[in-house]
Amino acid sequence: MKRFIVAFIAAYVFMFFWGWLLNGVLLKDIYAQTPNLWRPQSEMMSLFHWIIIGQALVIFAFVMIYASGFAGGGVIAGIRLGIVLEIAAIGMRLAIYAVQPFPGKLIVYGSISGLIEMIIVGAIVAAIYKPAPARMST
Amino acid sequence: MNWKKFFIAFIAAFIFLFVFGFLWYGKFMDPIHKEVPMLWRTQADFGSHFPWLVLGHIVVAFFLTMLYAHFVPAGGAGAGFSLGILLALLFVGNNVIVFAVQPLTTKILWGWIVGDLIQFGFAGAIIGAIYKPSSPTAS
Repeated sequence: MKRFIVAFIAAYVFMFFWGWLLNGVLLKDIYAQTPNLWRPQSEMMSLFHWIIIGQALVIFAFVMIYASGFAGGGVIAGIRLGIVLEIAAIGMRLAIYAVQPFPGKLIVYGSISGLIEMIIVGAIVAAIYKPAPARMST
Repeated sequence: MNWKKFFIAFIAAFIFLFVFGFLWYGKFMDPIHKEVPMLWRTQADFGSHFPWLVLGHIVVAFFLTMLYAHFVPAGGAGAGFSLGILLALLFVGNNVIVFAVQPLTTKILWGWIVGDLIQFGFAGAIIGAIYKPSSPTAS
């Protein structure tokens, strides 16, 4: 449980700063091309706690999936899980692209950065979380 | 890996995801989505982007099946349901983030959350009910 919490916090901190760097700095100009799709800056700030809650949910689900079936495979297993989950997320992104008028390059950049993000998240979680050793029966 | 069962489970999951998505998001939630019309493509534009919707569902169904086959290959429908719910939580987290940055209504957010939980929980259960690992060859 202790390692679960430490892995969760470490991955969360990474995701928070990655999200800020990517969405708040690097992709800022692309977001600005479709202002009608986004809340005004002041409104986003007033809803900022939802971003924190959403990122926490994403990381919680990731660590839960890892701890339930992938732990023990080491960093490679964590990276593999990150890749599989992000490709599923790319599928969702494509479906959303069909219904919302996002610029195509936002989907491409978002998917590439999402893949990098989930690979690093997987590596962090796997490096920290270790399954409890099985109890020996006498 | 039992590829025959994998393929059947993947097709069944894809059909369920697509039909449920059409009914829940396309029909049931349609009037709620229309409260913020500037967020969606026009009907004609959506029609020309429809292949992306199909491709997206194929990708999700394929990787959910792959995750199950590596995760709990002999777990059955219950284990598949649990995995689907965990995957849904990942998408729910993303929905919550989207709510903070896009002018969605709270009704849309809740509709997406409930829809994701049902959609992926049941898709996972379908995969779990169908997929069985290959039986080991007798030596």
